Amino acid sequence: MSAGPILELKNISKQYHGELALRDVDFALKGQEIHSLVGENGAGKSTLTKIISGVVSPTKGEMFLDGQLVSFNNPAEALQRGIAMVFQETSLIPSLTVAQNLYLGEEKLYNRLRGLYIAAQQFLQSLNFPVDPTADVSSLGAAQKQMVEIARAVHHNARIIIFDEPTATLTPEEKSHFFALVDRLRKDGVAIIFISHAIEEALAISDRITVLRDGQRILTEPAANLDRDKVITSMVGRTLSNELYKQEGKRVPRPYGRKVLSVQNLSMGKMVRNTSFSIYAGQITGIFGLIGSGRTETAKVIAGVLKRNLFYGGEISKDGERVRFRVPREGMKKGIIYVTEDRKLEGFFETMTIAENIQVHMLAKSSTSEVIVRRSRVKELAEKWRKRLNIRATSSGARINELSGGNQQKVVIAKGLVQQPEIVILDEPTRGVDVGAIAEIHQLIGSLADQGLAVILISSYLPEILNTSDRILVCRQGRIVEEFDADAVTEKMIMYAAVH
Amino acid sequence: MMPWLRSKVDNFIGSGDAALAVPPMDGALKPNRALDACKTGFAIQAPDDLCVWNGILLVSSGKGLFSIQRADAGVQAVLHRTYENEITAIAADAAALAVAFADGDILIEGGRHDGRRISLAEAGKVRNPTAVTFLGAEHLAVCVGSARYAHMDWQRDLLERGSSGSVWRIDLQTEASVCLADGLAYPYGIMPLGDGHSILVSESWKHRLLRLDATRPSSPEAVLNDLPGYPARLHGDGVGGAWLALFAPRNQLVEFVMREPEYRDLMMSSLAPAYWIAPSLRSRGSFLEPLQGGGVRQMGMLKPWAPTRSYGLVIGLDRNLQPRRSLHSRADGSRHGTTSCLASEDQLIIASKGGNEILFCDLRGQS
Repeated sequence: MSAGPILELKNISKQYHGELALRDVDFALKGQEIHSLVGENGAGKSTLTKIISGVVSPTKGEMFLDGQLVSFNNPAEALQRGIAMVFQETSLIPSLTVAQNLYLGEEKLYNRLRGLYIAAQQFLQSLNFPVDPTADVSSLGAAQKQMVEIARAVHHNARIIIFDEPTATLTPEEKSHFFALVDRLRKDGVAIIFISHAIEEALAISDRITVLRDGQRILTEPAANLDRDKVITSMVGRTLSNELYKQEGKRVPRPYGRKVLSVQNLSMGKMVRNTSFSIYAGQITGIFGLIGSGRTETAKVIAGVLKRNLFYGGEISKDGERVRFRVPREGMKKGIIYVTEDRKLEGFFETMTIAENIQVHMLAKSSTSEVIVRRSRVKELAEKWRKRLNIRATSSGARINELSGGNQQKVVIAKGLVQQPEIVILDEPTRGVDVGAIAEIHQLIGSLADQGLAVILISSYLPEILNTSDRILVCRQGRIVEEFDADAVTEKMIMYAAVH
Repeated sequence: MMPWLRSKVDNFIGSGDAALAVPPMDGALKPNRALDACKTGFAIQAPDDLCVWNGILLVSSGKGLFSIQRADAGVQAVLHRTYENEITAIAADAAALAVAFADGDILIEGGRHDGRRISLAEAGKVRNPTAVTFLGAEHLAVCVGSARYAHMDWQRDLLERGSSGSVWRIDLQTEASVCLADGLAYPYGIMPLGDGHSILVSESWKHRLLRLDATRPSSPEAVLNDLPGYPARLHGDGVGGAWLALFAPRNQLVEFVMREPEYRDLMMSSLAPAYWIAPSLRSRGSFLEPLQGGGVRQMGMLKPWAPTRSYGLVIGLDRNLQPRRSLHSRADGSRHGTTSCLASEDQLIIASKGGNEILFCDLRGQS
């Protein structure tokens, strides 16, 4: 490892729509170093690496590469200067071959596929990657896709490679292969930034570790000086969040109601692995897990958004009856709704009004196929929910994209609740929502449980899980690994279960 | 889809009855060490059923009926009476005691019908009483676990997916019996419900509790499904709820063997029952036995979450017959095979048939 930093960031801040994602962060990467970035979801890791790789520009601060002040307007500029980013979800084109992906963007006027394959074969062999250059990327496993991504970065003479959660979808064998590969890259002179929720992995392979929390750098230390406890304590120690979630007196968890949902040995691909748990009426069951832990996929399988494995995919029972939903509509009819974590992509039609969005979801529940929809009834329904959820808009005729994030989220929740569900799955319901709306959404979630509904709250934000849930399940590597009573658990215990 | 086709498809893709899925122990059933933590208890060979008769706590064990008495040195079991046949269930009301035997006879002691012996046995049919309870002073309700196999052969009945059990109402005056329900998969526990006309029955092989009309034949109504173990005896808790003992856990390997008839038949014909892949009341500590520990033993220590054939589990049910709390003896514990439990003031008295112990659990710390 060389002594001086090859990349240095000073006082970097980044603001998104008035909210600070990063605040005065200093970061330095030395040559031939593996530097891990760890922190909870929303701590600012991705924002920091996006700034380094030119995906976004900082609001404030400076970046130095080899001592020179630099500023990238796009990822291509960063790549030209030797900085490449390997995303968790690979950016490869699945319908093209490995070789075509490797040389994407360098196509000549006349391309001879055979020549491309020979060049790719030689290049992959020089890296000792056992990947067939003629294979379609869609046919590759997660580790092989990572290899192609890495090869592409090396092909562009990257001196700094950023890995975002590279091991989340890998099997243990693939992981060990990947770590050997990373070590080899370092020996070849590449500096590596490694983002991971797996603390043990970060401790094992890193030279130094930086912990981010609430957009601030908490510590940077050699990995040898750290242990898991110290890292976790740095990750979960609260400042701002304590203000929002401070408890006034001891909260008494709601008692178990009827068991309404039983998930038994559920499996879906590599993301949900033989997981089992129960959900009770009149309670908020919090599910905590880091990104890639499979909690969202589990929820989607329950609601019929995703399908479990056809062979030995496990069982889901609702009120003692086995259910298997092929589409979400079947789940809705059985009283299960899933409120998505990605409201912009999956939550609403942004060009439609509040009333139209709510009406669209009513169609899923309705057993009668009404040909004519009465506008007055749609409006009446939407106004009812607008008032009930305190959606701040001029009227229910307002377009969704005119609303703030918090009010958009309330519309998404209203779309679910309008179907009078028995089981409500809320996936990251307060992500990207302002502080005032967070409190209102939490109040709403509590009132749903008080009405006897079974509420599943998925969140990566520990204070939210701790202060809203009556019972907490922890998801890791595709399965529920721990269950806590809300009145006898600490943030540290939950995080330990999530990463250990 | 036609049932036979459904069954074939389920077997092929591993869904439905062939899913090999086992309900988790979570929520109110979250594992703990409460049974192993019970300090008071005393050793007795294979205690099976419990009841309180005339203020005396009785426990059945083999052919003997023991009374549990307090002594200077703690609690001790005093032999109350020995019978010719093995006792399979006992129950008491204010005055009378009912003792059921493996041969299908039921003996009444005390009360108006003192000395009456009622036989359930029929020609060509096994009568295997597994639980009894009084329905007032004049009637008795009896669970018959299996019409095919005797009490000792319960593993065989389970592996063959037996469903020849039944529940009977017997008039003690006339000895007339009415079948309240049949075709049940090993009914193993019974108690009258507070409404005065229903009874609660545990159907062991189907892992559920059923509500039955206590006065006439009726279709059973499932009130609690998908228990994570095999339920045994039920007793009221005195405040409208109940205590349910489960004598063994469900596990995926047993479920798998049960859906593979050729393997199962070969296993049952060529191995001693102790080594069958089947639920068990206890671990015999033999390296020959299947699964116990499931290989999760390190440096001689068995991990509590190891896959296991035997377990100790007692569940407290509320007025709505939903689990509220539970007491466990996990894979590394010894108080397994809990076949009966009885609430008495602030104590729960538990018969651990597999652990050869009677346990006294202080409930004040368990809520």
